[in-house]
Amino acid sequence: MTRRGLLARLAGRPALRTGLLLGPGALWLVCFFVVPLAILLAYSVMRRGAYGGVEPGFTLEHYARVLDPLYLGILRRTVVLSLATTAICFLLGYPTALVIARSGRWRNLLLFLVVLPFWTSALVRTYAMIFLLRDTGFLNAALRALGVLREPLHLLYTEGAVLAGLVYGALPFMVLPIYASLEKLDPVLLEAAEGLGARPWARFRRVTLPLTLPGVAAGSLLVFIPTLGAFVVPDLLGGAKQMMLGNLVQNQFGPARNWPFGSAASFLVMSLVLAAVLLWLRRRDRGALAREGP
Amino acid sequence: MPERRAGALSRRDFVAQAGSAALAAAGAGTLLAACGAPRPRAPGLEAELHIYNWSDYIGPDTIGQFEEETGVTVTYDTYESNEELVGKLLAGGAAYDLCVPTSYVLPLLAAKGVLAPLDRARLPNFRNVAPLFLDPAVDPGNRFGVPYQWGVTGIAYLRSQVTEPASWGVFLDGTVSGRKTMMDDGREVLGAMLRHRGHSLNSTDAAELAQARADAVTAKGQLAAFVSAPVKGQLVAGDVCLAQLWNGDTRQAQAENPDIGFVVPREGSLIWADYVVMLAGCRHPHAAHAFLDFILRPDVGAGISDATGYGTANAAAAERLRNPVPYPTAEELARLEYQVDLGPATALWDRLWTEVKAA
Amino acid sequence: MSARRVPAGAAVVAAVVYAFLHLPLVALTAFAFNRSRFSVQWTGFTLQWFQRLARRPDVLRAFRLSLLVGTLSTVIATCLGTLLALALARHLRRGRRLAEGLLYLPVVTPEIVAGISLLLLFSALGVTLGVGTIVVAHVAFSLPFVAVVVLARLEGIDRSLEEAAMNLGADELTTFRRVTLPQLWPGIVAAALLAFTLSFDDFVITFFVAGVGSSTLPLVVYSMVRKSVEPTINAISALVLVGTTALVWAADRLARGSARA
Repeated sequence: MTRRGLLARLAGRPALRTGLLLGPGALWLVCFFVVPLAILLAYSVMRRGAYGGVEPGFTLEHYARVLDPLYLGILRRTVVLSLATTAICFLLGYPTALVIARSGRWRNLLLFLVVLPFWTSALVRTYAMIFLLRDTGFLNAALRALGVLREPLHLLYTEGAVLAGLVYGALPFMVLPIYASLEKLDPVLLEAAEGLGARPWARFRRVTLPLTLPGVAAGSLLVFIPTLGAFVVPDLLGGAKQMMLGNLVQNQFGPARNWPFGSAASFLVMSLVLAAVLLWLRRRDRGALAREGP
Repeated sequence: MPERRAGALSRRDFVAQAGSAALAAAGAGTLLAACGAPRPRAPGLEAELHIYNWSDYIGPDTIGQFEEETGVTVTYDTYESNEELVGKLLAGGAAYDLCVPTSYVLPLLAAKGVLAPLDRARLPNFRNVAPLFLDPAVDPGNRFGVPYQWGVTGIAYLRSQVTEPASWGVFLDGTVSGRKTMMDDGREVLGAMLRHRGHSLNSTDAAELAQARADAVTAKGQLAAFVSAPVKGQLVAGDVCLAQLWNGDTRQAQAENPDIGFVVPREGSLIWADYVVMLAGCRHPHAAHAFLDFILRPDVGAGISDATGYGTANAAAAERLRNPVPYPTAEELARLEYQVDLGPATALWDRLWTEVKAA
Repeated sequence: MSARRVPAGAAVVAAVVYAFLHLPLVALTAFAFNRSRFSVQWTGFTLQWFQRLARRPDVLRAFRLSLLVGTLSTVIATCLGTLLALALARHLRRGRRLAEGLLYLPVVTPEIVAGISLLLLFSALGVTLGVGTIVVAHVAFSLPFVAVVVLARLEGIDRSLEEAAMNLGADELTTFRRVTLPQLWPGIVAAALLAFTLSFDDFVITFFVAGVGSSTLPLVVYSMVRKSVEPTINAISALVLVGTTALVWAADRLARGSARA
């Protein structure tokens, strides 16, 4: 009886009920995602403790330091690598999504195979790349067995290996949104274009591509942003010869013992993430309004 | 300085066998290794001990034997670098009893108040410690640390591929370009370059450091990678034929491939010693002291060093090693240098190392 | 219908992509059964690397711990995430799209930033690092995934059934239990399987928030990868791969089944 009574009262108060549903999860995310980021932000304007940690005080020197050409260079390199990763993912991902969308009964299997590597441990993925690319690795051994090579190719510890590793981890994020928008594409439009005499390439360029751009935009964001924080791949596949922002952050919390600077660098990454997500949200909402408009 | 290793830390084989059978069926509720029959516990000791050590830096049976003898259950975790250790300790909240920092970290940890002084009366085996490790500058009177193991940085090389590299200069002169590596550690790389030019590897002199940075950039152009202990596998497989590496790790690789040699360059190099310390938050001080005295026993110390390939600070144990690691002679010591904490110069070193990476 | 034909160029690219994605994993798995210790020449079939793995108590302990952490964090994340999704889909009117969008923020946040900031939080609170902090962290990053997956299922459910039940006099709770939940169930299970996979495979965040006695399987794999090229790594990777594939496949089937329902 009391249970019914409670429920009846809850039913009468939708705001409270929504709060009870929303509350625990939202609270968890606030406590263990938002608050930690706030602490990070606070640390980034405090003074460096001599042995790590922070000391009270307010300073913007750590943000000013990010503007130093040395660190700007690392930032630029990170952004360029992330852009290159995004571009390669697009060039590989779009045709793949197209094939999946038109593969009929194989569709589910193909989708599953694209998603699978994402769910696999990042460490296992990276180790698999090392296993493949080493001088005495699988690829070199296979090419030599086939008589293609005499001397091993140096594949591991190159920029190419870093890019391959980054693309490997990020590709599903590009394929899925593009696939989703291809799915929604109304075939009638393509038939109409064909009826009007448009050739396949023209149909793709004038109809398919423009209508799936939202998917491309979402995919690009989902690839670009996590890549900005990569640090295991550049170390293990790049031979630690170059830094990305992630390595810089890791260093500041490690040997350099400069937590505030590390926090400032983290926040730089985070503000890029935030800007990108907000941009995407605005675009998406405008798109939704436009679709629902008439 | 990542991983100084032993073989697998096999605790108790019967547990493992049982575990492997249960591997597929292992449910959610099983938290830690199933304990066998409860052992009688030595009087006055706590039931547990939490140890945080370098990965593979202990004998395969050391922990198991200690548990058998004392009835204390040991929780054993590992780390890969001093930075990881210091990070965890300074963040607080890592409730360990014992850990194993390298000498140069001791003053920092002592200053931060995270160490607890040892009770020497409970460590009768402390008399086994070699004179070289008594009363070090980083820990006057051995107040906090029990000397554990020591090692040197040198060059591991494949005898069949390159002639013995006598000097750090091999990283600068184009020898086997693309098939050599240096450690992924600014202190090690810049330190070696400083020694190469006849300077201290703890230098804070701007001009000396600038030269070291320039040399390191030259070296980087010829390196396959900056990689520390993981290079062992590549040395054994022959991907890499010249590597800056520690003596103990080289020994482990030698066990797999006898073609590997090791040399300390004539310009001198780094020597380090690790100390087992008790943390201020230690909740099992009696068991901790029992463990410290246990590893100071000659047989136990020898077992550890035989497994890791590093020298033991335990003089009585050193005599029993199957594969001896002789203490450095006075003449060798003159060429070897301990690291010190760089203090305010840490920022400069970090910047130079970042510049090397960005070059 | 020629408009739906697959262009030859796209097919070639897709073939390359699938090879690129799976060749490394297949090669890695195959050589877990190779007898040679260091070479990639095939010298014969063996199970010795798996046996060696089974004799390592640290690996077994880490495996059990990962199961425990995965189960705990999955239960919590699935409950909270499902409630969150229900609130967003059924009860929140204003701000829903924004809230939904914000759910993606933790999903795309670089792991190193999430890990370090959590460590700073625990450090500031003076919390003892260990299994508890790992579970808390895993819930934080898998919860949004759960919410997104359940939300997608909720949107596929025909609301007219719920309305019909209400019209027939069922109260809200009964309607939820008898009508909504049965349809939603596969989506929830799929989300739980994915949450478990995320937890079981996480390295970076766990690395920062681990403490006494809390070395999970990825942490042990990390230290193995760093020090050797022995095929035991292939063996443990193969096991992780097979486990992951099974979980994701099951999740996939469930999610799809409910979409058709």
